[in-house]
Amino acid sequence: MSKIVILGAGISGHVAASHLRRKLDKSHEVVVVSPNSNYQWIPSNIWVGIGRMKSKEILFPLAPLYKKKGIGFKQAKVTSFYPEGDSEIDKPFVMVEYVSETMRGETEKITYDYLINATGPKLNFEATEGLNPGTNKAYSVCTYTHADHAWQGLSALIEEMKQGKEARIVIGTGHAKATCQGAAFEYILNVEQELRRQKVRDKAKITWISNEYQLGDFGMDGMLLSYGSNIMKSHEMVEMVFEDRGIDWILGAGVNKVEDGLTHYETLNGEQNTIAHDFAMLIPSFSGHGFKAFDKNNQDITEKLFKGFMIVDADYTPRPYEEWTVQDWPETYQNPSYKNIFAPGIAFAPPHSISKPRKSSKGTEIFPAPPRTGMPSGITAKLVADNIIDSIKQQKESLHHKGSMGNMGAACIASAGFGMTKGSGISITTYPIVPDYKKYPDTMGRKLGKTFGEIGLAGHWLKLALHYAFIYKAKMKPFWYLIPE
Amino acid sequence: MTRRISKYKRFVMMNPIIQFFKFIYLSIKVLIVVAGGHGGTRQLEK
Repeated sequence: MSKIVILGAGISGHVAASHLRRKLDKSHEVVVVSPNSNYQWIPSNIWVGIGRMKSKEILFPLAPLYKKKGIGFKQAKVTSFYPEGDSEIDKPFVMVEYVSETMRGETEKITYDYLINATGPKLNFEATEGLNPGTNKAYSVCTYTHADHAWQGLSALIEEMKQGKEARIVIGTGHAKATCQGAAFEYILNVEQELRRQKVRDKAKITWISNEYQLGDFGMDGMLLSYGSNIMKSHEMVEMVFEDRGIDWILGAGVNKVEDGLTHYETLNGEQNTIAHDFAMLIPSFSGHGFKAFDKNNQDITEKLFKGFMIVDADYTPRPYEEWTVQDWPETYQNPSYKNIFAPGIAFAPPHSISKPRKSSKGTEIFPAPPRTGMPSGITAKLVADNIIDSIKQQKESLHHKGSMGNMGAACIASAGFGMTKGSGISITTYPIVPDYKKYPDTMGRKLGKTFGEIGLAGHWLKLALHYAFIYKAKMKPFWYLIPE
Repeated sequence: MTRRISKYKRFVMMNPIIQFFKFIYLSIKVLIVVAGGHGGTRQLEK
């Protein structure tokens, strides 16, 4: 009988755990190890950050659900990997340290037959000097606690604006190689609408700051999309929206320092500039967690498992941008050295960025890292779970399920303002996520019919519908599995 | 030159009746893209 250990209970880890539990009989053990006691639906954090949703509406405790469904749960963080076991234990295991109140600091060796590393990214605030959520008037919406904090800062500023204060708001990326531009894009539009709702929009100057070379890059090298009867580039669509909302933009900016009310950044032409802010929301860079791995003899084998994030079946051969292909991207998320270890979602090391790499004249790399949003995280987690299920049932390795980001569509339903009648959303779908310039040479690597954009109230309703649908699914309520990832 | 959102376009974007039908259309279209399948790329190349 097999034991599957899943590290992380975010979108990827939770999807893998729920599918494994549903499809495997109870003789097989499914164990989730996560330092977080709650599941959170991260895409709705932006609404917490403008005070239109309470954080309790986007989260629920994991322990009662896992107990009910027969999934083991350990509130702990993994510290090191022993994929061959050690001198005492023959089986592979991970060393974990408990963080729950009752067992804080205790350690345990958790053995496994299959390991799914769904630890996601480390929010690397320390990579940017002075970027600490809630200090220096700069905030984050990466977690619900950060988003709560951001709303406290924003609502205090709104009160001052009501008294006549003129304010400068800066929203975007907080590092030269940050990703997740989509979340910042949603947040800036929601903040803009909230200021209008609070009747203080005329008191604020709002600026988008980003490491993108062009607006609408989103870490995906931009896209050509159909918009109604038009065909336009994503930067034209985003420019149109920013122009409509009176939002300025600074592009090719590598934020390198934040001080009280000041954001310092380097531009692609090598200039060091500063912009003042009364409120900023800057997305940090993402990094791996710095895990270590050891073999049976306690020798360090970290380079076999990690390259920042976890090494999987991608082609990591360094090549210039012009030679990148979709075949570089992983299909099964299996570690090549240890075939019973997988890393779906954000936990795998991408072969390279998707956006074209650019350096400033001083040599600083300023371009977005590749994004891996909720949808591909869910899809890759499900295919990893399905391959493990097949391998267990067939009693031999099965990697029949594949899902390269070069052969996978993604939908980004970006909120542009909250409200059942006054809200707005920008719905963008992209196929494939990683552009395939060989297959679609004339349309910037994307299939035009499946790559489209729409702006309007329906987008807000759709985002809200997805919020409720995915929380329903995550709570594993009846027929949850019919809702696609 | 940056495109602008026209008054008519804004009316269409914010009209709840038009947007209700747009919501149905979008839901189906997004579902087709998302649930429309995924796979590898390396065998296709061969």
